[in-house]
Amino acid sequence: MDTLVQQIINGLSLGSVYALIAVGYSLVYSILLFSNFAHGGFLVIGGYICYYTLAALGNNIWLSGLTAMVGAGVIAILVERLAYKPIRERTNVTLYLLIASMGMSIVIENVFVVTVGGRFRALPPVIPTDPVNFFGLATTSAFDLLSLAMAVLFLTALQLFLSKTKWGLAIRAASYDLRTSGLMGVNVNRLISIVFFVAGFLAAVGGIFLSVRYTLYPQLGFITIKAFVAAVIGGLGSLPGAVLGSLILGLAEMLTAGFISSQMRDLVVFGMLVLTLLWRPSGLLGKQVSEKV
Amino acid sequence: MRKLGLLLVAFALAFVFAGSALAADTIKVGYLAALTGDWAAYGQTELNSAKLAVDEINAKGGVLGKKIELVPYDFRTRPEDAVNAFRRMAENDKVVAVIGANGSGINIATAPLSTKYKIPQIGTVSTNLNVTVTPEGKLNPYMFRICFTDPYQGQVIAFFTAKNLKKMKAAVLYDVGSDYSQGLRDFFMQSYKKLGGAIVADQGFRAGTDVDFRAQLTTIRDSKADVLVLPNMGKEMALIMKQARELGMKDIVFIGGDGYGDFMWEIAGPSMEGSYWINHVDPADPAMKPFFDSYKKKYNDECKEFVNGVLAYDSVYWLADAIKRAGKADSTAIRDALEKTKDVKLHHAVMSTDPKTHNPMNKTAVVLMAKNGKAVYYTKIQPK
Repeated sequence: MDTLVQQIINGLSLGSVYALIAVGYSLVYSILLFSNFAHGGFLVIGGYICYYTLAALGNNIWLSGLTAMVGAGVIAILVERLAYKPIRERTNVTLYLLIASMGMSIVIENVFVVTVGGRFRALPPVIPTDPVNFFGLATTSAFDLLSLAMAVLFLTALQLFLSKTKWGLAIRAASYDLRTSGLMGVNVNRLISIVFFVAGFLAAVGGIFLSVRYTLYPQLGFITIKAFVAAVIGGLGSLPGAVLGSLILGLAEMLTAGFISSQMRDLVVFGMLVLTLLWRPSGLLGKQVSEKV
Repeated sequence: MRKLGLLLVAFALAFVFAGSALAADTIKVGYLAALTGDWAAYGQTELNSAKLAVDEINAKGGVLGKKIELVPYDFRTRPEDAVNAFRRMAENDKVVAVIGANGSGINIATAPLSTKYKIPQIGTVSTNLNVTVTPEGKLNPYMFRICFTDPYQGQVIAFFTAKNLKKMKAAVLYDVGSDYSQGLRDFFMQSYKKLGGAIVADQGFRAGTDVDFRAQLTTIRDSKADVLVLPNMGKEMALIMKQARELGMKDIVFIGGDGYGDFMWEIAGPSMEGSYWINHVDPADPAMKPFFDSYKKKYNDECKEFVNGVLAYDSVYWLADAIKRAGKADSTAIRDALEKTKDVKLHHAVMSTDPKTHNPMNKTAVVLMAKNGKAVYYTKIQPK
């Protein structure tokens, strides 16, 4: 019983970090209909900005966290302008965007390898990681609770932004049909910039938490593969789906590793992906929109 | 953007031409280092240390009147890149020998090539048995190593755990995707059982994709093990220790192999305190002090991954000695000289190679203990 509770808590805390990243994938997908593989790069950028501002600003996590989020958001906009805009203006085949995003992810990784080196960097202990005991049933670190709380906070804020603001309305409209919303007077380029800013912003939140937990290195973005799988299981393009998929994935990983075998972990994760694609190709909460001729 | 690209291409070409122009009167030695990827911290230290040794040897007039020229290649912590790099060293650069890599899986992958091109290769921290001898028991004639082997290391860990620490309930958490990790785990378990110890948990993970070990650690916690053996690389071991302490595993003792690196302190912090590390060299060894000093002077950085640094540095000296004894810069002659290594005085040890297995003979293992923010010498050990 203790073990079960413990593994469920482990799973939820892992899932909440996946959720922050998966939401970014889904957000971009819902507008531009391609999976932005450079998303892992945004996360690494956020992590490095946080690392260096922490050193420069004397360990003020709030200030450097904010700098990292805004910085990653701005760089995400730049990446879109530099790599995706020229393509989407010329063609509406999203495959090219997908390939460009893979290229960007390699570029970002190697920019860090060349400039700051491949070394592992640990963030100074600005976020507490002391063990916290739950009524003798389970133990987790204070950090996990904080990351869960932050994930809930940012995801709620995102939901409010999308449902209560004018730009949120425009994003939701564009997620149904980008061209029509452009015809209705929405400034599409600015809208896409906002979407990328938000994606970069959230990626930085994930990046900071991941680099505290797993240290910072240029290849940290590879972790996003699991978050991407979560987004696909939940339904690419659906934000609640991304969160649901992440939690399911986190739990599945921990329970498999804990009760079946730790070697089976990735088998189960990717098996779930295959099954989802067979049963519901658009994911658990994905929109079922058929292509109109 | 396009201009920048052209500039880069021009630079790359310039380097290629400069490289071939210098080739005339030097002895070319390839260096296989992980400059990027998960092992970048080890690889960069190795290359820096090897360069230091080469500079020292060249400053004293080189070998056989010729200067040594190091030809480094980055294998990005991936065996497939190492294989390509080895091919290029052999075919394009025409090296006489290759030093590196620091991992068994990598050297097992390049072993067939060393035989094919007849180029001797020295593994720095490649401790798996199959680096020099195939699983069928055949010697890879061109593969050598400067470090002791996994069976020996596994035996040392088991002996130290059972005899010195007197802990008889062990858990193992190893990397299923690594020849090094799997081999070390097997040999530890064999020796430990022979010494009367019990393996109460045996858990696996996959390095590179797994960074979260709490599921396995929860199982280990429930198994009531009093010691956790970590036959892995530094980053994983550091994350494991950190996550174990976060799960409230206060009393379990950590013991690891030669994957230890000082960068682990940055990741694991105080969770490192009190852990034990079986290793090849003692950082406090007075014979190594000149090396650490000149490393610091040249690179303005501590030699944090000192095992890799020392072994890479001494590998160059070992090779230089072999070339001298061979009397000519010829791959096959160098191979024969490496095989006949007997009582060659290097900095960290006196080296003798067993011609039947190409393993060093009678190397003592050092046990380090993590204490007050660094690894200090604990004891020397030679299991019977």
